[in-house]
Amino acid sequence: MQTLGNFKLPNFFNYPPYFTLQPVRDTREKQVQLWKELILDYCRTQKIFVIALDEEFPLFSNPVIESIAGSLNHEARQAFLSALVSEGRAEWMHKGHRKCLILWHRIQDWADSIVQFVKDNGLEDTVMTVEEIRSGVESRGTELHGIDRTILMRALKLLENKGKLVIFKGSSADDEGIKFSL
Amino acid sequence: MKRRPGIGGLQTAAAARNQYRILGENVAKIRTDLMKEQLATFRSQLEDFARKHKNDIRKNPTFRSQFHEMCAKVGVDPLASNKGFWAEMLGIGDFYYELGVQIVEICLATRPHNGGLINLQELCSLLGQKRKTAREAVSEDDCLRAISKLKVLGSGFEVISVGKKKLVRSVPTELNKDHNEILEVAQGQGYVTLEEVQRRLSWSAGRATDALETLLKASSCKSIGLFFFLFSSTEGLAMIDDGHSDGKRRYWFPCISSISSYVGS
Repeated sequence: MQTLGNFKLPNFFNYPPYFTLQPVRDTREKQVQLWKELILDYCRTQKIFVIALDEEFPLFSNPVIESIAGSLNHEARQAFLSALVSEGRAEWMHKGHRKCLILWHRIQDWADSIVQFVKDNGLEDTVMTVEEIRSGVESRGTELHGIDRTILMRALKLLENKGKLVIFKGSSADDEGIKFSL
Repeated sequence: MKRRPGIGGLQTAAAARNQYRILGENVAKIRTDLMKEQLATFRSQLEDFARKHKNDIRKNPTFRSQFHEMCAKVGVDPLASNKGFWAEMLGIGDFYYELGVQIVEICLATRPHNGGLINLQELCSLLGQKRKTAREAVSEDDCLRAISKLKVLGSGFEVISVGKKKLVRSVPTELNKDHNEILEVAQGQGYVTLEEVQRRLSWSAGRATDALETLLKASSCKSIGLFFFLFSSTEGLAMIDDGHSDGKRRYWFPCISSISSYVGS
């Protein structure tokens, strides 16, 4: 089985027609389904949060398959990501659909992880910065470590709306503070 | 024999005919009895044999296939019913029914990928993976036997030969001769192009396009069996691949590619 780093690639990845968007509806549905699962799996294990459509992405081409056959064209990439978007597992970051935020955890699930993280570390009534959650000592070894800032802010906003925390402008201009009140 | 006139002559002739008839019946009866006796001996020998080699029959696929052949010659079908001496003694009926169910499962699971047509070899190896825990080895011959038993359930299952390969069809698709020939051409590389089909089979562009499009589109459900609902599928048997610098579209057939060891999760 072919691997990408420590990631095991599924068998269909070696079958050239999976790199061409299929014209027959049912065949395409199956194809899209397989690609959706692959993209989510890969991003989850590799902690990838953003896929740019026009940039190199390991999954979008298979060097084992000759020439351009093993490479997804723009239309196919867009189709697979759009399928994820329509399921709430991804979001276009701009109107132009150039970059896509991959939600291998939904925002709600990320919010739950934050709550769990706060409880595990006894931070219920303390103040932290956003940057501390992303890269601080406390979050090391948890899924929150290295989380995409956009996704983190979305999850925090969700919790703020529920009254579980307050976001405020911190001392440094580019960071924000969080006051938990769980 | 010169016929003598008079009533006495007629009576003699009738008596002679009667004698001939009785003699004939006796001969026939003796022959039938002899045959019956022989067949009974055959059967009892076969039963002895089966009893003696019970374990071999169950565990060794080659032995099993030879045993089936022998049974067929004497007119015994060990799979005819799940009751009776054969099934009870060998448990061989259960073995094939179980195999049949597993074959159905595999065909269903791989259908999204191969459109309902699967290479017999691949089916066998998938069956082997599925039965890892079972002790008995399974041969292609066993698969074919189990599939032949599935036929009674409807028009779903059939084994077709394409070139040197055997394919198991689990959707009621009607593959015509043209489709078969294309699959045969595709066996070399796993795919064909329109040009290749035209060249190798000396077809017109129209004929080749038509056949390829049919294979690509869908399996039309022409006959309805018990499996209709399970197997009414619209996935095609081919997938296209446009990513080539020569601009020629390649038609791939998952049912004959070895890479199709993919099974839906």
